[in-house]
Amino acid sequence: MGGLDYVGKRILRKDGPLKVTGQATYTVDIRPSGLLTGRILRSPHPHARILNIDISRALQLAGVRAVITAKDAPGIKHGFVETPRYPADQWPLAANRVRYVGEEIAAVAAVDSHVAAEALSLIRVDYEPLPAVFEPEEAMGTDAPEIHPRHPKITDPFSNIAGKTDSGWGDVAEGFARSHYVREDRFQSHLRTHGYLEPQVTVADFESSGKLNVWTSSQGPFIKRAKLARTLGLAQSAVRIHQAYVGGAFGGKIDLFSHEFCAALLSLKSGRPVKIEASRDEIFSAYRHGQPLIVELKTGVKKNGALLAQQIRVINNCGAYRGSGAVIIFLSWGFVMLPYRLPNLKYEGFAVYTNNSVRAPQRGHGAPQIRFAVDSQLDMIAAELGMDPIAIRLKNARQSGESLPNGDNVHNCGLSQCIQKAADHTGFQQKYGRKRSTAGPTDPVRRGIGIGVSSYFSGSLIYPNSSSVVVKMNDDGSATLLTGALDIGQGAETILCQIVAEELKIPMDEIEVIAADTETTPVDIGSWISGNAYVTGNAARVAATEVRKKLLELAAEELEANPDDLVVANKSVYVAGSPDRRLSYGQLIAAGIRKRRGDPLIGEGHWRTMKDVPFHPSLATTKGRWSENYAFDAQVAEVEVDTETGVVRLLRAVTAHDCGFPINPLLVEGQIDGQVSMALGHAFMEEVRMEAGRTLNPSFLEYRMPTIHQVAVSEHIDVITESYQKDRPYRTKEVGEGYVSAILAAIANAIYDAVGVRLFETPFTPEKILKGLGKI
Amino acid sequence: MVEYTGKRLIQLNINGEQFSLAVEPQETLLEVLRNQLGLTGTKDGCGTGECGACTVLMDGKPQLACLLLAIDCQQVKITTIEGLSTGRQLTSVQEAFLEEGAVQCGFCTPGMVLATSALLTENSRPSEKEIKKALEGHLCRCTGYNKIISAVQQASAKMTRNVT
Amino acid sequence: MRLPKFSCVKVASVEEASRLLAQPDVETCLSAGGTELLPRMKYGLSRPQKLISLKGVAAEAPVLGEDGSIQLHALMTLSAVAASHLVQENAPVLAAAAAAVGSNEIRNMATLGGNLCQDSRCLYYNQPHDFQFTAPCFKRGGDQCYFIPAGKKCRAVFMADTAPALISLGANVYVVGPVGSGSIPLEKLYSNDPLRPVTLASGEILSRIIIPARPMQRVEAFAKFSWRPGFEFSAVSVAVVLDLDEDRQTCRSARLSVGSIAAGPLRPLKAEAVLAGGRLSDKVITAAADQAAAEIHPVPHHGYSRVYLTECLRAQVRRVLHSAIGPLAKT
Repeated sequence: MGGLDYVGKRILRKDGPLKVTGQATYTVDIRPSGLLTGRILRSPHPHARILNIDISRALQLAGVRAVITAKDAPGIKHGFVETPRYPADQWPLAANRVRYVGEEIAAVAAVDSHVAAEALSLIRVDYEPLPAVFEPEEAMGTDAPEIHPRHPKITDPFSNIAGKTDSGWGDVAEGFARSHYVREDRFQSHLRTHGYLEPQVTVADFESSGKLNVWTSSQGPFIKRAKLARTLGLAQSAVRIHQAYVGGAFGGKIDLFSHEFCAALLSLKSGRPVKIEASRDEIFSAYRHGQPLIVELKTGVKKNGALLAQQIRVINNCGAYRGSGAVIIFLSWGFVMLPYRLPNLKYEGFAVYTNNSVRAPQRGHGAPQIRFAVDSQLDMIAAELGMDPIAIRLKNARQSGESLPNGDNVHNCGLSQCIQKAADHTGFQQKYGRKRSTAGPTDPVRRGIGIGVSSYFSGSLIYPNSSSVVVKMNDDGSATLLTGALDIGQGAETILCQIVAEELKIPMDEIEVIAADTETTPVDIGSWISGNAYVTGNAARVAATEVRKKLLELAAEELEANPDDLVVANKSVYVAGSPDRRLSYGQLIAAGIRKRRGDPLIGEGHWRTMKDVPFHPSLATTKGRWSENYAFDAQVAEVEVDTETGVVRLLRAVTAHDCGFPINPLLVEGQIDGQVSMALGHAFMEEVRMEAGRTLNPSFLEYRMPTIHQVAVSEHIDVITESYQKDRPYRTKEVGEGYVSAILAAIANAIYDAVGVRLFETPFTPEKILKGLGKI
Repeated sequence: MVEYTGKRLIQLNINGEQFSLAVEPQETLLEVLRNQLGLTGTKDGCGTGECGACTVLMDGKPQLACLLLAIDCQQVKITTIEGLSTGRQLTSVQEAFLEEGAVQCGFCTPGMVLATSALLTENSRPSEKEIKKALEGHLCRCTGYNKIISAVQQASAKMTRNVT
Repeated sequence: MRLPKFSCVKVASVEEASRLLAQPDVETCLSAGGTELLPRMKYGLSRPQKLISLKGVAAEAPVLGEDGSIQLHALMTLSAVAASHLVQENAPVLAAAAAAVGSNEIRNMATLGGNLCQDSRCLYYNQPHDFQFTAPCFKRGGDQCYFIPAGKKCRAVFMADTAPALISLGANVYVVGPVGSGSIPLEKLYSNDPLRPVTLASGEILSRIIIPARPMQRVEAFAKFSWRPGFEFSAVSVAVVLDLDEDRQTCRSARLSVGSIAAGPLRPLKAEAVLAGGRLSDKVITAAADQAAAEIHPVPHHGYSRVYLTECLRAQVRRVLHSAIGPLAKT
């Protein structure tokens, strides 16, 4: 089938020229004429009853065009998960009660931001403060304040349970009994946030025709349309989400947000376009962050290091509404199941309501927290058994073709190669356990090395369940690609274009991409759940293949040749062995118009993560298929610990990754580097610091995201376990989320290697290091 | 002494063009660029001088448009991202950012590109340390910075090659 | 984030600004680089009706006096201070401190005078109060401290990096005021009162910084410790200036100054005494660092605990002393 010209190549971003010249349009840049400024009134209380809201003075203020409260809303709740077990639990505007500081109570639209701010100050809300609870284990207590009425289907003896996952296989009691060594540890992670540079922002413009036009900084337009239409009581056909580039999301822009609802409702009421842009402090203090987990982990192993049994209890501080809190406790089970063979497991996950802001998925969605726990403990076990960290991981790593306890198959699995290559590349075994110092024994700086592994799924069944792509040919032989996929920085437009370019042999710059518009593009799963490259990628391949088939049929007629003897190259078709018998795409399209009543050349492709599986797996029991594809990786961290200041630096990160087939290695590297940097922030610095539901550091100055000075050397080793074959489905695996996980565990293990301090709680602050060293 | 009260006409020199604009004293250069002139390449990431996305060049020096009053910018040559390249012809810095994969979501890119251009104008062969010092105020959440450093190095190599 | 409405007067001189600032019936605020004031105004912490802007006043170039002292104009940007050859040669500790403030863009805007006159900072204070911490704390005119709820006083910390450097150099500042003008030691500018860390009276403006002549045998160094250098404020900053004997081994006098650990920069005088008059050695340096850590009780701030800051202070003092005398050890 010839070599690959586009797929697998380091092709430059399709949207690059627009972005380096400042011409790319983001939602923040949308300014329809007559635009009003919207602002939101937020609760100052973590928990309170709303006794009365008086908006009369705000309405009278000159320049105010609309004021809304829950009374103006159709009264429809929403939730990240909406199932019979987990019904929607959040109003877009608080009705009778507020459950966290920053919860949305009212919104105004005014001619400018000064009037909007003044209008907010004129709204009077009478509250009756209620007792509040912020820590999940406290909230589980039977005497804790009740944040939501008890859920009938979750029958634990605990309070405030928003979700529960129970899973397992085998017999853990027997597993522990047969174990040579058993240990129990408790790990705890902390609250971090996404740190997208483009703020949360929505522009809504309700036309007199009855159409609500919306631009919103998101991770996929179709789920936004569905949720927005429903909470507004509108038909989906009445809502159009338009494309705009997205300045980063990392999980933080998936679900419906109140500002989206408010901008839409304010536009409906005022008849004017309305923009609501969250300020950075609002994002830090009132928007959704990631999810800190408490992980209680008991593990039993054989003498040779083989895992025999694991018992895990995960407690998630899920905030005042369910958000993705019930999802992460399901996913955490999966991230335990994946990389290592485990004959016996008992898993329990709790999502617990607290009076904190709602939680969102965040890059890795549970994997960093779980892998930190499992891989930290595995190093402790290895030390106890006298094994090295590489050997114990190779002993337990899953192999190609293995079936998983949930009925999935790992298919091609490069985990062992990843571990081996990462170790070889870094000279791991020569360095490990040396407590090396950079200079002499008086040098306060110590170096250490550590490893972690991770695995991640690539797409799953969740609304809207599938992706479709349309490819249509233009008269000059160029093509237009229509996709619902949204480029949030990961390069969706570029890789889809590469696939179409490959199948049709059309240069990248002759393929126009129309993306992420609910009205003009086909449905798409969105840029989350790590399925874009695999699901939408295969849809694009099918669509392009269909166009190629049509082109070949036409060419066979015109050239009087057998379609099997035809070759596609350089926007033309020729007969194999006779390059002169050639027709360009332009000529073929002209012939098509002449002979086939003008039928255009259009191909459509559809793909779904698992074709024959009707639903997503159960969040409660984990039963049901989850994914068709799992990516694997091993990451090695080398750190430097300053034993006088406690400051740790990540010097070098080596990622050996099995991402199936890399469609664009340049973009794959970009994803890995970004995740190493995020893990570095996670490990050392980033923390949303909260006190009684209020945020102490709501700014980039005080929320410590890494700067260019913290950059670590990041190296990549490809373990390619799939090939791309034209006409055939391929398993491109995820690269967007999983690589933030193993490196976090590796850093923890490297710190231990450097100074002998074992940390059970993230972040690994200088203070914790000095405490571990007994210096303070 | 000049007093500014309410809306007043001011003169700004932006990307070589002279603009007469009516602004109020509290309007920042960032607001004027984005809202009045439609020069939306200059991004607003925080509004308090912490992310670097709104960086513009004031007489060639990178400064933060969110912390500049428009009325204070009248005697200066202002360069925004829109003023760097013409048509499809990208500058060496822009090319290098593309080629090295230093762009992902692109929100920090205009500020990064301008700060890099200013650096390379002053110092055509910066060391890695100097590159970091020049870009230390620019947050990027996508790339992890490595590819941005390579892009600056590549741009430097391109520019010095072009000169010789 | 938007600025509230105000009117703005662009003045042609510091003297003019001083006269305008003293207007009794209008709430005024002085703005130089704007990098501290504008975020404060966006957060609603300062609400001037009238802004007195110095942006139209050109910063004069540094001057080397006949007596060897150097005079710096307060409106010099921190970039200009850090890049000035005169400063680099005569007061490297200041060049280093100026280069350590904020980021490149901030240094291109922020002025030396503005850095020296900045307000004290606190996590609870330096943020908007639209729906968080809405009841005012001491610093916002209230009668409570969020940081220490039972506390009777404000615990905000003064975090300017150039102040310790200039104090260790024994700098004076020239203050222009409506009543009279004159120079005072920079140390006297600081009250150690977090509510009003800078002692300037209404209408007074710091216009010049005068650094005394540099003796022949002087070594100096500055260290800013923070988790993200080049971005955030110091957890601890330490400046040291040592004047040595001809032998370049014996310390004639020592001035140490520590920033970001209290409502103003502090000098560990006993630690200075440990250094002065004796031969410098590793042992003496360690003793001085221990002494500094013993006599200064840092105010915990920005998530750093007191015990941690004390350890950091010890390590930084030791390191900054080593870095100052480092080249000597080899000679």
